[in-house]
Amino acid sequence: MALFVAGVNHRTAPVALREQLAVEEDKLRELVRDVQATGAAREAVVISTCNRVEVYAVADAPGEARATVFRRLCQHRGIDPATLEPHVYTHLDEEAIRHAFRVASSLDSMMIGEPQILGQVKDAFALAQACEAVGPTLHTLFSQAFAVAKKVRTETDIARHAVSVSFAAVELARKIFAGLTGRAVLLVGAGKMSELAAKHLVDQGAFPIYVVNRTWSRAQEMARALSGTAVPFEELDVALGSVDIVVTSTGAPEPVIRRELVHRVMLGRRGRPLFFIDIAVPRDVEESVESLDDVYCYDIDDLKQVVDANLRERAREAQRAETLVEREVAKFAARLRDVEVVPTIVSLRERLEAIRIAELRRALARVPDASSETRDAMEALSSAIVNKILHAPITKLRESGRAGAARSWTALVQELFGLGRTP
Amino acid sequence: MLGVLSNIALILYASATSLALAYLVQREEIVHRLTSLATLAGWIAHSIALITLAVETGRPPLGSLSQAVSTAIWVVVLLEMLVERQYRIPALGAFVLPIVVVLSLKASAARPAGLEQLGAAFPGAWVWVHIALAMVGIAAFVLNFAGALMYLLQERQLKAKRPGTFYYRLPDLQTLDRLTYRTLALGFPFLTTGLILGAVWARTAWGSVLTFDPLASLSSLAWGIYAATLAGRALVGLHGRRAAYFALFGFTMLVLTLGAGFFLPGRHGS
Repeated sequence: MALFVAGVNHRTAPVALREQLAVEEDKLRELVRDVQATGAAREAVVISTCNRVEVYAVADAPGEARATVFRRLCQHRGIDPATLEPHVYTHLDEEAIRHAFRVASSLDSMMIGEPQILGQVKDAFALAQACEAVGPTLHTLFSQAFAVAKKVRTETDIARHAVSVSFAAVELARKIFAGLTGRAVLLVGAGKMSELAAKHLVDQGAFPIYVVNRTWSRAQEMARALSGTAVPFEELDVALGSVDIVVTSTGAPEPVIRRELVHRVMLGRRGRPLFFIDIAVPRDVEESVESLDDVYCYDIDDLKQVVDANLRERAREAQRAETLVEREVAKFAARLRDVEVVPTIVSLRERLEAIRIAELRRALARVPDASSETRDAMEALSSAIVNKILHAPITKLRESGRAGAARSWTALVQELFGLGRTP
Repeated sequence: MLGVLSNIALILYASATSLALAYLVQREEIVHRLTSLATLAGWIAHSIALITLAVETGRPPLGSLSQAVSTAIWVVVLLEMLVERQYRIPALGAFVLPIVVVLSLKASAARPAGLEQLGAAFPGAWVWVHIALAMVGIAAFVLNFAGALMYLLQERQLKAKRPGTFYYRLPDLQTLDRLTYRTLALGFPFLTTGLILGAVWARTAWGSVLTFDPLASLSSLAWGIYAATLAGRALVGLHGRRAAYFALFGFTMLVLTLGAGFFLPGRHGS
């Protein structure tokens, strides 16, 4: 019996092929059932996202199972298997474990550290469970993959730093201000981009929100959307004095915010920092503004530079995450080998225990006036016999699991003790 | 026994320093935990060493300049552990612990003399209060210096718009400025009272406040800088980068003060 994963992802297959392959939920259920019905795989989980379509399966003959699965998949999606074949990768056993851990931890994602993939893997797993396609091996594998993903997320900074311009702006604000709760935000200009940045700030607790725009109706509209207040353009100076963060995105050809104005505003702020997020092109904030004390001014290029630095930081953290995953893979490979034999061991124990209890009851019924010492002795005697009998087969089963011969030994033990059948 | 304990403390502080610096480069949670552990263990060994010294000599562990500095270090490490938790600055150790190690090396390398002379010159209890207060003040200013340094590094990264290690590892500017202010507000009263007591004592012991002593003169200069910073902060809104420069300046003066105590002849001699 072997664990394998086969599939295509954003690296091996072009988007045209991936979108042809991607399976929606209803069809996915059908596919999982279909794969099971062929009998090629004992367990199967199918993950289908826009960046990957993968089948995780446990089968006695992985090569055959993989061929069957992809034949079905191609049938379902109407693709010629020959065009798919060169893009498919297959990982066996330890490689498959590593792959599962890396995918769930978002190390195999197009954008390393993106948070959606874990949810997608969890959904795929739940769907396969609902189809009763998940057995002990995949159950253990995926539970562990989720645990590893969580560990990667908490122990590394892989998903910590923003990779979008608007989030990078929020992060910068958090390096200037001690918390964003109650920080006032002023939007100058009412573009989509500034609305997005403002929403992120509001999510972090920033309020109140003021909107200044040359067109009064547009200012009011945007203020409503953000539960803020529209401010007439003429009162820009006053507004500047009372806010902490300014997002500018006007279409003005000349800077709207001049150094002289900011200088005057800063005098009245007693050292409270002022943070300009200038996402307008051409820029709305005069360049010389940033030479003023306590003023921080980031234009769109600066923000992109921060995003780049964040990406480099993520890449560094990804290295650490890989090491962490590697450790977990080694630990888990050993555990998985036990998984195959554990159900047999459990049912063997249960079977003998059931016999023991039944016989003990019968024996005790025959001697109703036995003293409690006698009862204890009978109890102990029966337990000891069962444990002595169990010792050798259980040891042998565990060894066979480690030697990769679990299949024949579990079958033998099941046959000998009549397990899996009602007595 | 005493020497062994001091050495253990020093070795643990040195290990904590290397770990703290490693943590700055590589954000590995385990490294941070080890740093905290080594710091705490070092501090405990240090505490026992100070208690042993006090028991052996029958007076506070402030009988010579190196003993006093050792006590100041003990306070610094205590403050470091508290501030790190309170302000959530896991990188703080990287800025405070190197100073701890340098001062410890100086304190333990200094001649263990001075005890007898001091006993003769200062028969009263007030002198211990003078030294103790000054040392708590100095300890707070070590944290003040670290806060200012972190502020300047973070501010520079934000102004340069090229996020690097410090951008990622250090907290926000307002927190750092607040830390710098609070440590100043904590250290200043201690230093002030300590210096006044010293001056009063000098009058009773030598009949004059103004007898030249290198340590006393330089410490008055340091006091002046801190007084100016505090006044500036309270009255004219001095803050941020400028206040941080003042903190660096004041601390430089404090280091010179201690240097003078260690290397120049004077009443405070080591």
